[in-house]
Amino acid sequence: MSKYKSGLRRIRSFGLSRRNFNKGLLGTAAAAGLATAGLSSTASAATDVTFLGWEGYDAGLFVDSYLADNGINLNTTYIGNNDEIVSKLVSGGVGTIDIVTPYMGYIPMMVAADILQPIDESKVPNLSKIHPFFVNDPNIIVDGVRYGVPFTWGCAPMMYNTKVISSTPESWDDLFKPEYKGKVGMMDDPLGNIMLAAVIATDAEVATSLTKKQLDDAIKYLISLKSIIRLNTPSWGDLADALARGDVVITFSGWETLKKFCVDKGADHIDYVYPKEGTFAWLDTFSIAKDAPNADIDHKLCDMIVDVPAQLMIGDEFIQGITNSDAIAQLGVSKDYYPYNDLDGLANRATFFAFPPLEEGSGKTTFNEWLEAYERFKAA
Amino acid sequence: MRNKNFLLIVPAIAVFSLLFVLPFIYFFLISLWKIKFFKLVRDFNLVNYDKAIFNYVEIFINTYSVSIPVAIITTVIGFYYSYLARFKTGKFGSLMIFIALVTLFGGYLMKIYAWKTILGNEGIINSILMYFSIIKEPLSFLLYTKQGLVITFVHFLLPFSILPTYASLRGVNEIEIDSMKDLGAKFYHVHFMLFFQRCRAGVLASFVFCLLITSGDYITPYLIGGKITFIGNMIAPKFGQFYDWPGGSAMSFTMLTISILIIILTSYLFKLTDPK
Repeated sequence: MSKYKSGLRRIRSFGLSRRNFNKGLLGTAAAAGLATAGLSSTASAATDVTFLGWEGYDAGLFVDSYLADNGINLNTTYIGNNDEIVSKLVSGGVGTIDIVTPYMGYIPMMVAADILQPIDESKVPNLSKIHPFFVNDPNIIVDGVRYGVPFTWGCAPMMYNTKVISSTPESWDDLFKPEYKGKVGMMDDPLGNIMLAAVIATDAEVATSLTKKQLDDAIKYLISLKSIIRLNTPSWGDLADALARGDVVITFSGWETLKKFCVDKGADHIDYVYPKEGTFAWLDTFSIAKDAPNADIDHKLCDMIVDVPAQLMIGDEFIQGITNSDAIAQLGVSKDYYPYNDLDGLANRATFFAFPPLEEGSGKTTFNEWLEAYERFKAA
Repeated sequence: MRNKNFLLIVPAIAVFSLLFVLPFIYFFLISLWKIKFFKLVRDFNLVNYDKAIFNYVEIFINTYSVSIPVAIITTVIGFYYSYLARFKTGKFGSLMIFIALVTLFGGYLMKIYAWKTILGNEGIINSILMYFSIIKEPLSFLLYTKQGLVITFVHFLLPFSILPTYASLRGVNEIEIDSMKDLGAKFYHVHFMLFFQRCRAGVLASFVFCLLITSGDYITPYLIGGKITFIGNMIAPKFGQFYDWPGGSAMSFTMLTISILIIILTSYLFKLTDPK
């Protein structure tokens, strides 16, 4: 058993909003890369490789000229949420799609649905450079077989304004201090918010494996937040905006990169902390769809995305968490935005959780029940 | 000749059918189906409507408790703006209408973020009030509240109110106003018996525009409403992250039905004021 806890993150709206925030930067980089690839493809017969994932996650594939040199035309389809990966694959995408970028919690379900193919680890040598906190997460290795290459990650810390809050908060209970009433912010992320509420307010060992009572307790906790929050934003960008403007001073959930967003807005007094009750972490992967038309190239791309150049691009230019230890050692400006110097310590505070069950029968609440329960919070 | 006239409207009918009628029918049909493992299943049922009607009562109340006042306030302001432009500002009337229309070019999101800048804790209003020591703490009720929502909606919707009301006021002749006044009519009589009666269609159109746009919106509540949830905020994720198109469709048709009922009721109330 790995010393790192199993599990997964808060993919859905988290990913959507987080990536939308970076859309401009990432899109520009990707467009530049695509332009290069496109020029190349006119010189010789191009090999079409289909990429289905978050906008910008393809940008790391253009840090060198591999695609152009080999006449590879990367056909990208960007997703708005991880469900799109599943829905496209189960509705005819198998056999036509190469690379997908699910977050790790989806992988066991995708393997069960027979829409992913195993990763041949011998074709991804850079796997050996991935930090142990990430590389062997139980969600991406199903029955001893690897189905994903983890390349970016993050957690859900508490963000706070150091000008207003001079001593670092230690507990999520600090949100309820009278002086913060009406100054608390959160992001509208059903999966992430229920997971975090489950960590804080239930006795569940795995925050995504909840009984009906535990789910009710998590929702009650979220509803209790309604009396103290000022806003529930649609994106991390908007939450960063509210923090930087002083509209809120502390948050329920967060993201390490928000600190950078706030610095960019001229607010260098926003910091984050992992409260003692813990939180959840998330991990996104490059995976290969079942019957992918270009499996060899796909393995090469999986290797590229965790190679040092791509990782440095993701880390330094897009300020996202990276997984390659060699790249982490070479990080520049972004090194201070993530707890790279204490990933072992982070493992004690942040947990990767698997996705909630999709089908009934396990005795635990399904994801659909989570969504319906979350609507009670929204309606309260 | 009749056939020729009909042919002229065929393109419009085709576009309307393709872009409105067919999607409308499609979404109505799937509102009666269900989703199973990311796939639509043609299993006729009314469960989605049962949920849409009974699970979101508070959110529907939230939505219309903002959108109805917004529609009324915007229509009243829009009407008097049009009145000034039509009768009181002479040659500058056209300029007033032009200015109102130009604001449409500003963009929807830009207006929302502008109001965030104006109403926020470190926004223009709070900064000025604190600079002159009128307040010690920022006024938090300005933003992320229903008041903030109403202000933002009214500003955004004003052109949609001004256009139909101004168009209807153009049908009122100044001689009619003067005649009424000569016969002893008061301010109230002129407004109620002349303007309101002659501009009912324009006023109703303004109300309908404002009500439908506000009640169906989800971006403004998200960005300005703080923790206030509109029905649109529940519908939008049904078509995205929740992948529940049947549920989202049923909620949309429920919302549409409520809005139409409000419009019919308003139209009926207007008819009651008919002096004949």
